[in-house]
Amino acid sequence: MASTTFKRIVHEAPFFDEGYGFDVFGLHPRSLAASVAAARPIYESYFRVDSVGAGAIPREGPAILVANHAGVLPVDSAMLCVDVLRRTEPARIPRAIADHFVPRLPLVSTLFARLGVVNGTPANVRCLLERGELIAIWPEGVTGPAKRFADRYRIQCWRVGFAELAIRYRAPVVPVAIIGAEESWPLLTKLRGTHVFGSPYLPIPASPIPLPTHYHLRYGMPHVLGRDANDANDPDLVASAALEVRRALERLIDDARRERRGVFR
Amino acid sequence: MRVMVTGATAPLGTALVQALLGTAGVELVLAVGRECDPTLPSDPRLRYRTVDLTRRRALHALVWGEARTLGVEVVVHGIQHRRVHDQGAPIHAQNVEVTRELVLACTAHPTIRRLVYRSFAEIYAVHHGTSSILDEEAPLDFDPRSTQWVRDRVEADLTVCAHLGGALSIAVLRCAEIFAPDAGSQLWDYLQSRICLRPLGFDPMVNVLSLDDAVAAFAAALRGSATGVFNIPGCDTLPLSRAIAESRRADVPVPGPLLAPLYGLRHSTTGFEFRYDMNIQRFHFIGVLDGARARAALGYVPRTHVAWPRPWWRLLVEQLGAEQAIPR
Repeated sequence: MASTTFKRIVHEAPFFDEGYGFDVFGLHPRSLAASVAAARPIYESYFRVDSVGAGAIPREGPAILVANHAGVLPVDSAMLCVDVLRRTEPARIPRAIADHFVPRLPLVSTLFARLGVVNGTPANVRCLLERGELIAIWPEGVTGPAKRFADRYRIQCWRVGFAELAIRYRAPVVPVAIIGAEESWPLLTKLRGTHVFGSPYLPIPASPIPLPTHYHLRYGMPHVLGRDANDANDPDLVASAALEVRRALERLIDDARRERRGVFR
Repeated sequence: MRVMVTGATAPLGTALVQALLGTAGVELVLAVGRECDPTLPSDPRLRYRTVDLTRRRALHALVWGEARTLGVEVVVHGIQHRRVHDQGAPIHAQNVEVTRELVLACTAHPTIRRLVYRSFAEIYAVHHGTSSILDEEAPLDFDPRSTQWVRDRVEADLTVCAHLGGALSIAVLRCAEIFAPDAGSQLWDYLQSRICLRPLGFDPMVNVLSLDDAVAAFAAALRGSATGVFNIPGCDTLPLSRAIAESRRADVPVPGPLLAPLYGLRHSTTGFEFRYDMNIQRFHFIGVLDGARARAALGYVPRTHVAWPRPWWRLLVEQLGAEQAIPR
């Protein structure tokens, strides 16, 4: 399975090679494939990721995955990306959109770039959608990982930029509920005065490593937002489209939480 | 077509003059430079003039004298001081005032109808919040802490852009770094060292332009009539570490704060041209030009890879391969 995934990522996944084995954002499929292979025990045995509905991801063309977000470090994002790579046929490389402080982090910025993470500026996202790539966005931004344990699975600040781009580029939006991550690595506190490498705060986790909660990923049906690309200029339509996706994601989260037997089971 | 090329003795100017002389439809090339004995090809269509363009009277005499007499229609201007450590009023005059005076002189000229101006990718601001792909609307570097090298280029670019939409047809080509000696490329200078110090933990993508592609872009701009600003990216987009490896240099990651003093020390002791404090953002974050507009309006597509230094055995193999490929 691991070698198959490796081959699918390196040889089959659509990739815009700039001539040296990297794309313009620094993605290196071989590094990505090696990382996915290395993450296999974490995905299969530690978090025991159970995924339903990945068939909803369009096989080609621009598309946006929108998910809830939590945890001290973006482990939930990593598991989602691994899941997409393993379950799409042909393999699609999800381009995770990161906050602006991520490129300032030494080593992490380079590692993330090689794995397909892109700095979340409008021009970057536009470029990806114009190329017909699959992007993954967490509209909660840093407010997701910063939420208190008591607020788990409650969507925090909900940015609407993804809806505008989805309408403009006619990219279907697939909501994804990530269950398990919000109990896996809760935040004990955050040091707000500490801005290491531009990060908004320094997280103090409640446990030294993520707890082995059982991850459940639930993909919803794709939403085609707006009637045509011109709707992207209407802020009210954009806001209502973003709200539509938020409601769909909340329903997915509620359903998945009801279905699970326990946090660790 | 009758063309005047300023900076004709610089690498880009020389290559452009040669390309123009090999192009059908070019009746005359008026090459302008500061050197008295340039290495330009001998061709009856080529006229070389030694002119110090920083002297306003000389510039005016050239444009309204010989250029008018010869019926020059298109001007290619790309004079910028290359050395990054030089600064002061004379450098500013060469970088900005010459451009200003030349544009003004061309604006109401009876024969000159088009100006193609060579600008630089380095004028774009690059930091953690800017896009990795820089289109023509990307923010420029207005940081007052920037070096004069950058500030002058921003000012000169905007000076030309201020005349867009007027009677004079203007194309501003914001070129990626031309990877060639004496072309003003900081990356080229950086890679001249056997040991290349790189900020630890950062390996941004860089884009470099070959001299051939730069010439092709200017030739396309000369032929066309499209006006505006156009990004001219190169064919090679690769991580900085890969560029170091391709150049057969030793890649030594060093904590970022140490690099500016180390390269400063190197400049003061050996005269090394590379200036790290000017490139600090580009050595941390991606800033690659988006050439979509140039592709659509000028038909420019980068095609030629830069020539990375090769070891002697590889050159020998390539040479033998080329000889065998010659039909007998």
